[in-house]
Amino acid sequence: MNVPPRALDYPDSFLDTVIPDESELTCGTKIEPGKSYGFFTDTTLCIGCKACEVACKEWNNLPADNLGLTGRSYDNTGDLGANTLRHVSFIEKIGHGEDRATEMAPFQSNWLMMSDVCKHCANAPCLEACPTGSIFRTEFDTVVVQQDICNGCGYCVPACPFGVVELSLDDGKAHKCTLCYDRLKGGLEPACAKACPTDSIQFGELNELFDRAGKRVEELHELGATDAYLYGAPDTPGATGGLRHLNAFFLLTDRPEVYNLPVAPTRASSRAAPSFLTGLAAMAGLTLAAAALMSNGRGRR
Amino acid sequence: MDALSGREPFIMIADGKSALFAPSGMKDGPLPTHYEPLESPIHNPLYSTQSNPVAKRWEQADNHLAPPGDSRFPYAFTTYRLTEHHSAGTPTRSVPVTAELQPEGFAEIPTELAQELGIRNLDWVVISTLRGEIETKALVTDRLRPFHLDGGRTVYQIGMPWHFGWKGYATGDIANVLTAVVGDPNTSMHENKALTCNLRRGRLPRVDMPRGER
Repeated sequence: MNVPPRALDYPDSFLDTVIPDESELTCGTKIEPGKSYGFFTDTTLCIGCKACEVACKEWNNLPADNLGLTGRSYDNTGDLGANTLRHVSFIEKIGHGEDRATEMAPFQSNWLMMSDVCKHCANAPCLEACPTGSIFRTEFDTVVVQQDICNGCGYCVPACPFGVVELSLDDGKAHKCTLCYDRLKGGLEPACAKACPTDSIQFGELNELFDRAGKRVEELHELGATDAYLYGAPDTPGATGGLRHLNAFFLLTDRPEVYNLPVAPTRASSRAAPSFLTGLAAMAGLTLAAAALMSNGRGRR
Repeated sequence: MDALSGREPFIMIADGKSALFAPSGMKDGPLPTHYEPLESPIHNPLYSTQSNPVAKRWEQADNHLAPPGDSRFPYAFTTYRLTEHHSAGTPTRSVPVTAELQPEGFAEIPTELAQELGIRNLDWVVISTLRGEIETKALVTDRLRPFHLDGGRTVYQIGMPWHFGWKGYATGDIANVLTAVVGDPNTSMHENKALTCNLRRGRLPRVDMPRGER
């Protein structure tokens, strides 16, 4: 077993101080401003325990909402929102009747589970849409909403191609995953990644995560899970439409839409210039038509 | 516990290992065989003795067992836990963030059986055994595959998580109303995994109305 070098310095069960750079012990990554950090969520390891959801709500002090059975497999959370920054989706692809799978492909239970989260896009459309500067890029290359500056205009909500940001009904402001900005500042691994018992959610330095994820895909292919691929790493599905890459990226084994992810997400800002020009062209056309009609009328008189 | 390594999981046995031939220490044996559970939708296909003759039974008015193949209780019934709740749910059903993950009691019902009985997802259903009856919500799923037993007969299995009660935020009827008090001969562990039941769409008439919905 790999014991992180500093782990033996803290043998006690109860500590009265915070361990400096604790993330080194819990995930082997030292958190330093100026570097890029993110999540690699490997859905082949997710067991659907929802520990990430609980850890997130506990750390961020978020209330429970939507108390009720949804009837959609074991998913009673529904979707990401202002009070739900991690959401584990459950997709049953067992088949129906006689079509039920009788054998399982390696590393697949035919019950897909994926812990969804804000993608912290490299070119974040929510950040581009924010008129107040409330949404900013942190020193850890993550995207965070500053609650004291947000005025609740909601432009970021439709700008997000993944449907992540939501306005809270409690304070009217936009809320989303902060990639535990406060924890990163204190040298702590984000709560969800630390709580994940199977390391389905891995936190780390982005380039290291891309390397690790690439190797994991190769490993899965060798083991027979040939449908494994990355979503959101550079030059993969999910990193389309000028998003460049997603700091929170995924390893999937079925089409993105099966996991409720867009096949080819795009930035809203790339549609701004064409729609503005379309508007201008329409105005020009109408002006010409009106001028033509008026001059015709004058001729008849 | 120090004496047993992690590769020796049978912690109640001195050497931590299981044995196919166990001449001593067990109340049954020495060789394993197949017995049907004390309540079963079929007769033992392997062997003329239906169920374990040394299983602990407590014969009393509220603890009857249905005979094998009883047509009043045609479905197999099992109970289990969910990762979202701990124990009988006492610590987790009263904590909002864990209660919302599995907020209500439910029974998982195979799609084929649901179609046969006209049960839709999230309908109220009544599950009954010889010990009692409860109402709960239906979660219709393809994950519960019908069994083809006893010369082509189809037997459906109904599964019910066991964590619920009527205190806290996540509530629901109690699966133990349905289970029987019968014990494994060696450990006295109760049988909560293999029973027989009946199922219908609808609710129970009740004097005290736990959710105030009726």
